[in-house]
Amino acid sequence: MTLNNSSETPKAAHFVPKLAEVDEASAKLKATLLHNIQRSAYVYRVDCGGCNGCEIEIFASITSLFDAERFGIKVVPSPRHADILVFTGSVTRAMRMPALRAFYGAPDPKICVSYGACGCGGGIFHDLYCVWGGSDKIVPIDVYIPGCPPTPGATIYGFAMALGLLGQKLKEKNHVEAEGDKSAVAHPGAPLDVRVKIERQARLLAGYVQGRQISDQFVDLLEKNDLQTMPQLIEDWCVKADDPRLRSIVTCLKETLDASLNGEAARG
Amino acid sequence: MFNLLKIVKNTGDVTVKYPFAPLELMPAFRGKPEYDPKQCIACAACTMACPANALTMETDVKAGVRTWQLFVGRCIFCGRCEEVCPTHALTLSQMFELAVTNKVDLYERATFSLCNCRICNRPFAPRKEVEYVMALMVQAGIDANVVNTRRSLLETCPECRRRQNILDKNNIILNPQSIWRTDDDAE
Repeated sequence: MTLNNSSETPKAAHFVPKLAEVDEASAKLKATLLHNIQRSAYVYRVDCGGCNGCEIEIFASITSLFDAERFGIKVVPSPRHADILVFTGSVTRAMRMPALRAFYGAPDPKICVSYGACGCGGGIFHDLYCVWGGSDKIVPIDVYIPGCPPTPGATIYGFAMALGLLGQKLKEKNHVEAEGDKSAVAHPGAPLDVRVKIERQARLLAGYVQGRQISDQFVDLLEKNDLQTMPQLIEDWCVKADDPRLRSIVTCLKETLDASLNGEAARG
Repeated sequence: MFNLLKIVKNTGDVTVKYPFAPLELMPAFRGKPEYDPKQCIACAACTMACPANALTMETDVKAGVRTWQLFVGRCIFCGRCEEVCPTHALTLSQMFELAVTNKVDLYERATFSLCNCRICNRPFAPRKEVEYVMALMVQAGIDANVVNTRRSLLETCPECRRRQNILDKNNIILNPQSIWRTDDDAE
């Protein structure tokens, strides 16, 4: 058997995705019921080999803080009672049959939700040998809720979308590069070597994300003002932020700046 | 009992108003990666960093294009792409309402043109990346006109540059397994 690297066909042909079938009458019934839903929706969650993070978030969204039950969304312990099936996990080989049994066990019409990054596209496990890569490979999915795990807010939004109460916000996007498009250089007013030194130092001290934010703000000050007013501006910034960590980082950055400027002066 | 009721009254309503009112989020909340195609130079740093392969980049040498793709369905919102992006083209926004009914809507794509080498006429880097390098050279203090005169050198692939520095260069094949070569442009 040859291995195929194309994204359309599975990498190793150890399985052939085949969707569970839904008959036409129940599909029609579902459309009619969703058009004018006048009752609670009961949710059964099907774990197809997830890490349990998604389950924790589902239970977080039915706690008193987010309280999904005020919309009639209730988690039930049996697929026989369910209107909505929530498939979490990336569908491992061992959990495929139990998931299908839950699917066939639920009465028609039913809404299938693919929950979490694993359910939508396999997540970080998408290319593992024992993973089928998403619940849409085995059952027809109505709503995809991405997130790793989806926050309770995202869960409530997804359920509201499944019931047709809220509209979809995300749309497919295709950008094509225009002729003569150029990406702008950050801080064109500051010298490149000084900017790089400050950014490296800030990232070393504060981590990548906060380091960049701090260095961006620092270089922004440097760019817009002259060197004489810098110490006062830095002092104002530190007083405003009222954070001793920021103060010590910014002091280090100022030393880096002074050192690189003095070095330049010494060179010539 | 009375005390308990008093506590309940003082605590009030803890349930958030979402979805009838916007949800309050922390400033550092990591939502959907917001992409600015104008800033992107198609360097593929984000696709190297992405632990879930939600970000992918494919190069089509024959068509001369490079396609960047974000599949939100696989994204784990770790923010590594934002960390490594050299041009601030990717930032994690506060957008968390990502549910879709159609899987196609989870994709975001951007297509970039490639720069052909002046000598061997094969694509070797995205055009915007070469332009960005030139802009950085200007920022580093080199005169813009000088940078422009070096354009022909910068638009030469590393292989051809090495070849140009070798005496008797016509006798040598450098790196015959170059990824940018296609089957039909064998010499």
